[in-house]
Amino acid sequence: MSYLNVPRLTFSGDFISDVSTVNNDTQHYNNSTFQSKYQKPKTEIAANGWWNPEGGATFGFQDCHVKQIIGEDGTSTSDPLLDDIIGQIVCGAEGRNSGKMVDLDPQQQMVSQLWGVTFRILTAKNELLLEGKIDPTGFRNLQMRQQTGGKVNGQPFGGTWTSVIEDVVWGDLAHSSPFLMALKSKTQENKLSINLNAFGYYYNHAKDGRFSLGRILGGLGPWFTNEPKLFAPARRLYGIIGDAPNDNPKTQQPIFFGASNFLFDKKNARLSIDLGSSFPISDSMGNISLNTNLVLAVSKKSITFSASDSINLVTGNDVLFIGEVEYEKGADWINTTSAILDFNNLSNDVVSALEDNQLLLLGRASINNMYSIIAREAIDGIVIRADNFVQRLDTNQTNEVRLYAYQFGVPLQNKNITITQEPPTAVSPKKDNQPPICDIPGNNYPAAGLTFDTTIVTDNNGLAILKLTGNSINCPREYLDGQIYTLDYQLTNVPIDAASGSVMPDNFIAIHLRDHYEIPNTPVWSDIKPTMIQFANLYPIMSKFFIDFSDPDALIAKKDLLIFAFDRDIHDPIYMPVTRDLSENKRLTILKWLNNPIIDEQIVLSTEKKVVDANLAEELLQAKATPLTDYQKQLKDAVRAKNGSNFSSPEIKNLFEF
Amino acid sequence: MLKISPKFVNAVINAEKLEDLFPLLQNAIELEHATIPPYLTALFSFKPNTETAIRSVIHSIVIEEMLHMSIAANILNALGGEPHISNPNFVPDYPTHLPMGISKGLIVGIEKYSPDLVKNVFMEIEEPEDPLDLSKSFKANALPTFRTIGEFYQAIQQKIEEIAPEILPGDPKRQVTSNFFDSNLLYPIHTKEDAINAINIIIEQGEGTSTSPVDEEGEIAHYYRFQELYLRKKLVIDPNAPHGYSYSGPAIPFDANNVQPMFPNTKSHMLPEGSEERRQVDIFNNSYSDLLNGLHRTFNGEPDYINNTIGVMFDLRLTCQKLAETPFPGKEGYTIGPTYEFITTA
Repeated sequence: MSYLNVPRLTFSGDFISDVSTVNNDTQHYNNSTFQSKYQKPKTEIAANGWWNPEGGATFGFQDCHVKQIIGEDGTSTSDPLLDDIIGQIVCGAEGRNSGKMVDLDPQQQMVSQLWGVTFRILTAKNELLLEGKIDPTGFRNLQMRQQTGGKVNGQPFGGTWTSVIEDVVWGDLAHSSPFLMALKSKTQENKLSINLNAFGYYYNHAKDGRFSLGRILGGLGPWFTNEPKLFAPARRLYGIIGDAPNDNPKTQQPIFFGASNFLFDKKNARLSIDLGSSFPISDSMGNISLNTNLVLAVSKKSITFSASDSINLVTGNDVLFIGEVEYEKGADWINTTSAILDFNNLSNDVVSALEDNQLLLLGRASINNMYSIIAREAIDGIVIRADNFVQRLDTNQTNEVRLYAYQFGVPLQNKNITITQEPPTAVSPKKDNQPPICDIPGNNYPAAGLTFDTTIVTDNNGLAILKLTGNSINCPREYLDGQIYTLDYQLTNVPIDAASGSVMPDNFIAIHLRDHYEIPNTPVWSDIKPTMIQFANLYPIMSKFFIDFSDPDALIAKKDLLIFAFDRDIHDPIYMPVTRDLSENKRLTILKWLNNPIIDEQIVLSTEKKVVDANLAEELLQAKATPLTDYQKQLKDAVRAKNGSNFSSPEIKNLFEF
Repeated sequence: MLKISPKFVNAVINAEKLEDLFPLLQNAIELEHATIPPYLTALFSFKPNTETAIRSVIHSIVIEEMLHMSIAANILNALGGEPHISNPNFVPDYPTHLPMGISKGLIVGIEKYSPDLVKNVFMEIEEPEDPLDLSKSFKANALPTFRTIGEFYQAIQQKIEEIAPEILPGDPKRQVTSNFFDSNLLYPIHTKEDAINAINIIIEQGEGTSTSPVDEEGEIAHYYRFQELYLRKKLVIDPNAPHGYSYSGPAIPFDANNVQPMFPNTKSHMLPEGSEERRQVDIFNNSYSDLLNGLHRTFNGEPDYINNTIGVMFDLRLTCQKLAETPFPGKEGYTIGPTYEFITTA
């Protein structure tokens, strides 16, 4: 079961994510209202092109090393004398780009995906031990990490990428590592399970020079057939101390230990928990200053508290203790262990209780035999998640979304899952003399853009397939291609656990449905001009240093290189567009034009089509009258918080000290 | 053309078997490569969207140096050798002599564009054995104690003619071609004749022919293209001129204000440890090293890998241009130059 299984290794280090930020602002997509200042960095008084307008979307591992291995018996070592793998280098591709990190859309920035990332482990002499490709994956489990807020680095949240490494190649020297040989023999289909807990990302040009860097705590373990690829089929622990997400973000007390994965291995009487996604840290480098004695226990009764700022207590009599979370202050412990802990040789009582009772993360209270509940397992142990939850969809295309349901880590068979489409949200009208400079479209309209079954059923592996078909839509967002839709899912008649998703909801599918577009027989410049001008506006690094996409002659002069880039496989980091946001037909139209570039005389002032569809107008009116759903409110707040606006992250010195 | 130590030409002449040519072709690859960082640096030292005419001249030359490097590697592979591209010794520690250079000869550095750089370095690198006097300001000069890189390549041609079998022994699957080069210029080298013709491309693109500044395709040789930049006049066909060409074409404008004030021969250690600027330089070095790693794979049995390296070249370029506009900490009035240092691991 996933990276939490054994044999497992941990690694840690930095990641670089040089994302471009002009495209973080929806209004910047409007060619007719775009201003050149949107390509400049933000200032004290102006948002401009945000914090990294000249970003190139590069994602890569930097200065990452293997720190620890956990063997089949659940014991760990970080001694390089015991296995050659310890201390080796974790890095990206050789001789090619390291990968890209991209948003799905400016109106869905909360599922940023890694594309084209190669994962390698090398010796210090550059000899290959292991190499494979990370299946594209969007981040999840966004949660508060930094007790000091984002003052230094600008981003106090952390997030998690989980995926599989495919087409694994084992280097000749892998034989010198018993660990790697054990991993190779245990994993299936030549895939590995990888988890990257990221935090401490820098928006700010801080004195420590870490702009556009963040920290990664990695876990790598075997992958098994019939398991999800893009999340761990683990049990989940949710933080419940702090304010619920939809409270006023300006005064909100954040939830720490928001979401953590754990694996209960009954056969081996072992509990493995990953606190690397959630452990509170005092700064962007992962230093720990927590003072609380943390204890793991199994609850004897069902615990259903949601997040609140009042403390919920249990007595020692109501739980079975598993053990102390033996963390250490400073940064060494978290960087060595990735904050993944294994509790071996669980007692028979604990083993038996863990099968169908909730795990709790407790803080030792000052009152005798009383404990504060910092985090509790999902109610009834139910975890349901969409695997490939980020979808790009063209007209008449049908994608299969895999949803998995588990209870206490065991697949839930033959259960109904209900799928619901979020209702349309309203257009935010433009304002005079302040942003937005143009109307900001709403989402989820036209409602008929998607076709799918509203009820699907799980199979023996807990898997249910959602067939999702994109219908023809015609510029509902006017200046932005296609539409962003969100689907929610839950076990039929089982409410979503209110403690899940401390910042963003856990259970949603994010979809970019592209506009219907037919490839012209002989495309002319005005066919692709709006798209190319948008590129030129949104990616100043290209227009400044390489090519002005708005100039057809410049494109023609470099057409060989552009054809090369627009013709790559979507998994190739060189693929254009980097953001992977064009419909297939628009991409093919650009290619067709590059192969036979015709510059027509037609002057196109604006190709943005006005919404004329009567039904759509009706939907938009309704949207205006409809309050946001919980998901929509949470998304809105989360985006603002992620981007550092309208959000306070005060320094919290005495976390869990009551 | 570049003056080199006679011992390399002698080594070619004395070669008895193909294996004896391997280290010499490796030297050729290293030499062709060694010209690329200085040219690229000049190319990317211009402020964005300025001096298009000058940039296009340098660009055309640097692309041909990449072609020459590829041809030399293809020949080494065709003879049965293995190009070694990704190691610290492959990379010159600029400012330095070029590979095979003579001890008191030309020093090549990593510098921003200037007409003096073109005259004192670039034209020296590309100088033909007997430069044609197309302007009054340049005299032919032959110095018998030196051999030239042209002679070196000619010696290799002769030696291949003399000792190689008609069908060359290297694995044909190791030959590299690319959609970015004309297939008449970069083609698989299978036969002796292929190799000899390919060497002619290197020689002629570099120095023209002994009677004309253009090669057989009518393309102006590097030396004369650089001279255009120095004289700021296009070289054009001129029936009244002794060799049929003169620098009487349109003026090539140049405004020194369009060049970023890059600090010459920037090294990573000059930037404060832990600074954002140092990180950018490290990123540059990583990309550069990684590019060499990718090219090593390309020329060692994975010819399709060339496509993957294109993206790294692109990143290298963008990083260089970003550095060129980043003020150099502690060096008032300067920006940061590209460092071209080889990093062993990522």
